[in-house]
Amino acid sequence: MSRRLVVTFLSCLGILAILNVSRSRPLLAAPAAPVLAAEAQRIATIAKVRPAVVAVCFYGGKACGSGVIIDPEGYALTNFHVVQPTGPVMQCGLDDGQLYDAVLVGRDKVGDVALIKLLPKTPGKPFPYVPMADSDSVQVGDWSLAMGNPFGLATDFTPTVTFGLISGVHRYQPPEGKGTLEYTDCIQIDTSINPGNSGGPLFNMNGELIGINGRGSFEKRGRVNSGVGYAISINQIKNFLGHLYAGLDTDHATLGALVESSNDDNTLSEMRITQILEESDASRRGLQPGDQLLQFAGRPLTSTNQYKNILGIYPKEWRLPLTYRRNNQRREILVRLMGNLDTPTKSSPPPNPPRPGNPRPVDPNQSAAAKSPARQYYEEKAGFANYYFNKRQQETLLKDFIKNFGDFSSVKGAWEASGSIELADRTGKLALRWQQTNDDLTEVSISRNEIVDSLTPLLPDQPVGTLQLPQQSGGLLASLYLYRRLLLEGPAGFEGEFSHAGIEPFYPPRPNQPPPESLIELRVDCQVIRTKHGAFQSKWYFSNTDKQLLGCETWIVKDEDPCELYFSDYRPVSIGGKLPHRIEVRHGDKRYAVLTVSDYRLAKK
Amino acid sequence: MMITWRSTVRLSLPIVMASFCLPCHAADPFGDVCERVNQKLVKLFGAGGFRGVTNYGTGILISPQGHLLTTASHLLDTSELIAHLADGRRMRATVLVVEPELDIALCQLKHSDSNNSAMRQILDLDYFDIAAASKRPPAEAGDWVLAFSNLFEIAMRDEPVSVQRGVIAAYTKLHGRRGIFDFPYTGPVYVVDAITNNPGAGGGALTDRNGELLGIIGREIRNTLTDTWMNYAIPVHAQATIHDGEKTVTISIPEFVRLGMLGQYKPVTRRQIASGPGGYHGIEFVPNVLERTPPYVETVQPDSPAAKAGLRADDLVSFIDGEPIYSINAFHDYMKSTRPGMTVRLEIRRGDRLETVELKLESHPKRSGTPTGKSPTRR
Repeated sequence: MSRRLVVTFLSCLGILAILNVSRSRPLLAAPAAPVLAAEAQRIATIAKVRPAVVAVCFYGGKACGSGVIIDPEGYALTNFHVVQPTGPVMQCGLDDGQLYDAVLVGRDKVGDVALIKLLPKTPGKPFPYVPMADSDSVQVGDWSLAMGNPFGLATDFTPTVTFGLISGVHRYQPPEGKGTLEYTDCIQIDTSINPGNSGGPLFNMNGELIGINGRGSFEKRGRVNSGVGYAISINQIKNFLGHLYAGLDTDHATLGALVESSNDDNTLSEMRITQILEESDASRRGLQPGDQLLQFAGRPLTSTNQYKNILGIYPKEWRLPLTYRRNNQRREILVRLMGNLDTPTKSSPPPNPPRPGNPRPVDPNQSAAAKSPARQYYEEKAGFANYYFNKRQQETLLKDFIKNFGDFSSVKGAWEASGSIELADRTGKLALRWQQTNDDLTEVSISRNEIVDSLTPLLPDQPVGTLQLPQQSGGLLASLYLYRRLLLEGPAGFEGEFSHAGIEPFYPPRPNQPPPESLIELRVDCQVIRTKHGAFQSKWYFSNTDKQLLGCETWIVKDEDPCELYFSDYRPVSIGGKLPHRIEVRHGDKRYAVLTVSDYRLAKK
Repeated sequence: MMITWRSTVRLSLPIVMASFCLPCHAADPFGDVCERVNQKLVKLFGAGGFRGVTNYGTGILISPQGHLLTTASHLLDTSELIAHLADGRRMRATVLVVEPELDIALCQLKHSDSNNSAMRQILDLDYFDIAAASKRPPAEAGDWVLAFSNLFEIAMRDEPVSVQRGVIAAYTKLHGRRGIFDFPYTGPVYVVDAITNNPGAGGGALTDRNGELLGIIGREIRNTLTDTWMNYAIPVHAQATIHDGEKTVTISIPEFVRLGMLGQYKPVTRRQIASGPGGYHGIEFVPNVLERTPPYVETVQPDSPAAKAGLRADDLVSFIDGEPIYSINAFHDYMKSTRPGMTVRLEIRRGDRLETVELKLESHPKRSGTPTGKSPTRR
């Protein structure tokens, strides 16, 4: 009621203003052709994207925010703070006036992003969706369109459109509460953003998604538009999308180092390390206090805000190249990022913590939500936003891998491989062997020019030095043991953990080539499987294109450097399927060896 | 702050809603203009930083040697004024001269740290030509404008300032106030529909679509008639009439800038906005021996408003109604504009803490002796 009054009042003011202006100047000529063309183009763009704009609602239809569909299966992006109060099952209104049941898929609490999935009314029917732009190409002064459901105005869910300018790019806005909701590298707009716009799309004038609107600077103005709104850049979200599709509860990253910009007058800013955590990978890679940071992930570092921006757009555990200067020498290292949140995600509370001792009348909408068909797509598990989607990603990945590279589950006998080995200081003959021991454990051995190391990884009470055999390799034998186990047994072989860990960059060295100018040239984005068997934790990297297993990392000791294997030269083997005939072994900053296999002999039993 | 639908909704009405489009190439992005203008702005950091009093603002470069204009705000009340240039350089700046009637200050970047001429060479900065800008005809209601400023301290170092776009809603005189002070500038201003009334925006540039300077974004003030926040800029051609005793002088921004750069501008002592004994508070300060003796409470009169509010000896008065107060004189000046019955909010530093107290001012008690303050004693 009061809202209607306000609107009437505003329109009166508008009319007054128009009358006023028309008195003071002659009537305007007809608009020029370019104006009409721009207007027509704008209208067409809005018409094109509006079916994909989502009004996110509590189950039952009460509005709580906005969202946007990004693929035909009905996956949609919104803010974490929008779906936090709804719980895992919600409803979403579209431009067609209908409410669709939806389920939470993945969430990024620090970045304030959530992925949800709408259920089609007819199974298999594709949803309208919008393409994603490269938000790094967005410039200050560009026009933008924000769409969503501010103030919950649209009860028929047709989105509200606001039009405005990009006020700033690569902006940093600090976290709001316990390290979450940190806006890094975000887009600043003067396009009106109001309560209810949260989670809604920001488009460029081609109707491509450039960001997710989520926050503004308000101060004295309450929570309505102050001419300063912020959208999470779609490029940041792309880094997390693999994690979100895998149902993860993701975390952002830190370098593990304190960085300060020099405060000298009349100088350009320099970023220097002042402190560094000993257990950080950056420290193990040789970074020290006093080093000047030059570039991270290919972007120059000039201010503390930019440092936080560049670091803030990546998920934890990603490896990214960092360039620094010490004593007038530039060096590039590959740094594995640490997690950001103090509390590990595993102990994070479920989205809707029950409140014992505070009995409330049963919300009829909640009981309806419990009966929603979306419920069957939700599986609660610690560390995950929705484990159902993780399982689905695992299954799809493994199915594709087996299809392209063969099924080894029946090849349970001894495995042998022979060929040559190239170590740092010598080359020679190589023989590998995996075989069952008398007590039904697996023993792996490696022979280099008749010098033999062997390991039965599951024997109890072995010193770390043994588990990391051969010396300097960081645990090649244990890694080879786990590799065969993955091929033989799949998920069943990893009693500790077997989960999809989203998408991460991987940097396979190029065989027989000089090192690249920048490590970024080696980057291949991979789907990752995370496993734990006994005390051994591993990550397995599958190419996102043909699902080839490009390599793995195995940690014998937590918080130390893993043993890294890089697989290439896949060729068919007699038993069927394909195996890598070149395996590069790295540990820390060094290459331990290259194994060239000329012949695999796999026994069925 | 997050925008959730569940949050309380408060609508504050813009004064004028005249935002219809005029003929223009609506598809033109402003990228080049934004980049060009950004080179001519600095991010300023100065006094403030407590309780709603910001310590950041914006400045406009007006000479290649680093002269800059900004609003005459509390920000400048420091010897440590710092400017961040568009290229990320951090430089000190000094206030050359202030003209309250125009509400602007002329400052200059200091390159004294390096006496060599090489550094002076580097200060070949992009700038707005104030003389040329003031000769262009004023913009009219309905014209498109761009507003550039470092509102909310979003940018630091080489990060560009923020840009907003809008339309000139009116070119009119403004009745503004800040706290209980009347806004000193009474000439016409550009009222815009872009929301420029935000912390840190003061001193920013209002330009036309081509990035030509139209005005200087004013500090945060409210309209005295409607009590709404004003989005406005002081035009670059603005002039003020100043009464100096018997004489009346008219000064314009370009003239102020020209004389100020030559070191020949003599600001006129500002007439008192309000005078009189003001309301009675009952605070007695320490002996006022310096021009800027900090307002430490020596004692409070029994049963006075200060006593009722719990003020006590050694409290340091830091703010009145959000305005920073640095001296006993400033405190008394401020109190002159109050009257019995008003409530003033004091922020006081007590030990390590900043506390807020409210004083309901009364009439001065009818008894002999000076009600406030002690005569200065020299030791």
